[in-house]
Amino acid sequence: MLIDCNNSSLVIDKLCDEAGEGDTAAMCFYFDFAARSQQSPVNVLGSLLRQFVSGLRKIPEMIVQDFQKQRKGIGGRGLQVSGIMKMFQAITTTNRTFICVDALDECVPEDRMIILESLRQILHGSPNTRLFMTGRPQVRSEVEKRLDGAATFISIQPTEDGVIRYLQDKLRKDTTPEIMSGTLEAEIMKTIPDMNSETYVEMNARERLP
Amino acid sequence: MSQAFSNNNNSFNIATTFNYTAPDDEAKILAWLSPLEPWVRHRDIGVDRVDGIGAWLLETEEFRRWHNASREDEFNHSTLFCGGNPGVGKSYIM
Repeated sequence: MLIDCNNSSLVIDKLCDEAGEGDTAAMCFYFDFAARSQQSPVNVLGSLLRQFVSGLRKIPEMIVQDFQKQRKGIGGRGLQVSGIMKMFQAITTTNRTFICVDALDECVPEDRMIILESLRQILHGSPNTRLFMTGRPQVRSEVEKRLDGAATFISIQPTEDGVIRYLQDKLRKDTTPEIMSGTLEAEIMKTIPDMNSETYVEMNARERLP
Repeated sequence: MSQAFSNNNNSFNIATTFNYTAPDDEAKILAWLSPLEPWVRHRDIGVDRVDGIGAWLLETEEFRRWHNASREDEFNHSTLFCGGNPGVGKSYIM
């Protein structure tokens, strides 16, 4: 595996479990609206390629040569999407490869179009590659269109069991346990899971604010 | 340095020794590919994640089909998109 399996998210954790069974590679990327100026298509696709290359025993000669060539240019010639795609195609392997992309909706629409088109090319060129993406529902139709209908959709909503586990974890890590009474804890565990999921989502989003 | 040796790929049995990239160059090449470091966010998510939440996803038919798709299925099942409103925990599920 190319990414840290010790602390991982759910699906990547599952992929990590199987990594021992054969050659499986997984790469991830997290879009962040606040970092949109750095998350250009060339940087995003380059980051996936970088993770893939990091997992190889040595950097493919073609990439080394491209690097050497650009270094000779005045001020160094920057990478372009076409160059990265060429490298991706050149190192396509028969191994199972998983690409995981989070928060697709936080990518600038113009960049998203280029990135989805590039991912489509990668999927077409490499039958053993699987793409996992998350995002707000409004980007669904765009994904459907750009990936030629190859995407399956699942709706993610909080479950009661998930909310209970989350609350138990929060209460266990409470930094002021002295002011938590058994009655209050019981009330929290009863009231919050009873709320409808939208209210819960709103609370969760607020909690993440600084 | 690696370029100087790159034509020696097929020379005797020490080809792999010659055809290497200096560690210093290796770091430069990786940084050249992209300056972004998504594994930092990945690690933070892993630390915060509560075990078991969202495990239902792994049991769905859609996930299994995506995950187990063979070459024959190829493109049609190659992508799984999990959609949801902000705060439902999509990043932790990924």
